[in-house]
Amino acid sequence: MKTRATGLIVVLVGAALGMFFASFSTYDFAEHLDRQTHDLHCSFIPGIAGRPEAAGTGCHVTLMSPYSSVMRSSVWGGVPVSMPAMSVFAFIAFWAIYLMITKRNGDRRGTMFLLLATALPLITSLVMGFISFTKLGAACKLCIGIYVSSLVVFVGAMMARSASAKLQAARGTGGPADETVPADVYDPRMDKPISFPALAGAFVLGIAFVFVPVVVYASTLPNYERYIGQCGALEHQGDPQGIMVSIDPGSPGATEAIEVLDPLCPSCKAFEQRLQASGLAPRLSRKAVLFPLDNTCNWMLSRAEHPGACTVSEAVLCAGDNAREVLDWAFAEQDRIREAASHDPAAATRLVRERFPQLSSCIGTAAIRNKLSRSLRWAVNNHLQVLTPQLFVGGVKLCDEDSDLGMDYALSHMLERRGGAR
Amino acid sequence: MPRTILAAVVGLVLLSIPTIMVATWVSGAKARLAQSESAPVDASQRVAVAAAADEGYCNGDLRRVLRRVLQSCGLLGSGAGVRGCQPVEARNVATMSGDDFNALFNPLAQRAGIIEFERDGSTLDQSDRDLISRLFAEQRGASYFFVVSRASPEGNVEHNRDLSRARAEAVMSHLRTFNDPDLDREVGLLWLGEEFAQLNTQFCSWQRSGTGECTPDDINRSAFIAWIDCTL
Repeated sequence: MKTRATGLIVVLVGAALGMFFASFSTYDFAEHLDRQTHDLHCSFIPGIAGRPEAAGTGCHVTLMSPYSSVMRSSVWGGVPVSMPAMSVFAFIAFWAIYLMITKRNGDRRGTMFLLLATALPLITSLVMGFISFTKLGAACKLCIGIYVSSLVVFVGAMMARSASAKLQAARGTGGPADETVPADVYDPRMDKPISFPALAGAFVLGIAFVFVPVVVYASTLPNYERYIGQCGALEHQGDPQGIMVSIDPGSPGATEAIEVLDPLCPSCKAFEQRLQASGLAPRLSRKAVLFPLDNTCNWMLSRAEHPGACTVSEAVLCAGDNAREVLDWAFAEQDRIREAASHDPAAATRLVRERFPQLSSCIGTAAIRNKLSRSLRWAVNNHLQVLTPQLFVGGVKLCDEDSDLGMDYALSHMLERRGGAR
Repeated sequence: MPRTILAAVVGLVLLSIPTIMVATWVSGAKARLAQSESAPVDASQRVAVAAAADEGYCNGDLRRVLRRVLQSCGLLGSGAGVRGCQPVEARNVATMSGDDFNALFNPLAQRAGIIEFERDGSTLDQSDRDLISRLFAEQRGASYFFVVSRASPEGNVEHNRDLSRARAEAVMSHLRTFNDPDLDREVGLLWLGEEFAQLNTQFCSWQRSGTGECTPDDINRSAFIAWIDCTL
């Protein structure tokens, strides 16, 4: 039987679903607080369907993106946006239950408040969905679950609001409110609408729903500051052989930083995107040391992790002052270059020459190969890990564990300690 | 009002759910973090550290020769300022027959080159310089560049020793044009007279700067050069 409570029940179901998806998303985020890597619940039925590998999935891209959390500079990893989402859905569930328990489902103010409350996750979902598809190019199944839940609660709230409006209109004309309304759902004794002070109280309660978990979260986090600067330092920062290339001069007074990178390494690309999104890039004057993970030139590997990386690295070195342009192109095209080079070793050279014909005479020459070897030997002399990317700020290494979720926090603190440009 | 109280209880429960869940997850992460700090590092999970190349051909004899040349010639240890081994020291460097000594370098067939000189000459021509430049640029992970110069048995022994030395130094002079700040730590010179480790004609098939005939005399008026992918 269709009753006046249908809308509230839809809201309740949507809120429960939203809490379910947001909880798994927050759980995945919180698992990374141990600074390790973990698989994610990338599924529409999380907890039931098996966990896929973390890297490369839409969920992983979304989680590691700068949009997955806020306040990243002051809290390690930031406060995951899915956590307030849990709270908002919990509050919406509470308000729907409250209206049902107190038989205020016909209260226009109460249902309007519900509608406004459900507009929050809907608007947030629209914004986050837009970011996912336009900026990240990735779809996260848990996120989609939250988006759908947001729509469900909003639709339910509209239904509840519409039903209460009809009820009020009918009662205003003296007609029967609704013959299908059972007495246990609508109580005429509660005819008096919720007062504005009570709604203000509910609003404050909603804020409490969001802030209490956030405060608990932030106040119970481990002390991450003690790890900063504890992951080693460069033994020889100098560049007597001229193997470094400037990739970002930063703003005046920026702190000197050296990034060991492979232009075809997906992690390096992701790191670059996080760094740019963090707003910290201008505070660093970055030089790159090329470290291609390709055994064509890198004797430390038994196979090519990133086919074509040696050739592209040569192109970056050949470009000199325009290294950034080559690097940006390599980051943008790295999937295509790797794929082509894995089938045809000459493909990377061909692609580079097509895009940068002015570098043709330099790529593959003895001199540039020697320079690349010396770049790799710079890593040997500094006893670096065979790993990219690695960022050294003033010679001190940004811990690998802090290079994704914790990057903003760790890097901000490293820069503050060095007193670089702000 | 019981209904309001009931609603308050529901509100409290719903507020508690995310709060308790978050607190539990953070606490779990904290515990794992503490555990990972105290647990011994799993060797299989350790990331490799960048290192110079150390190929399979780096056997004990080759390392011994390498070490002795580098120590005798001042690259390692206390012999600062000394460059190259005297011919008389060559016997001490390689306590083995000439053939065995040469055989040590067989695995370097693709890495090495033979710079051929004119009879009684120690001057590099363009093809010599090109081959040196090309091979020196292919350092990759190698730590040491070996120059083993020779003289053919024509002429007197003393003169051939001087000639051998001059050939090694000619190669070294060209290497200096690369302005490699590590040069003095990387290059090992060994000049052999006519009396030790003459090359046989099998080495004629290796990369040579000369393109003409390759007789035993031609191949020994030479400097053998190669990056050695060994660590000490």
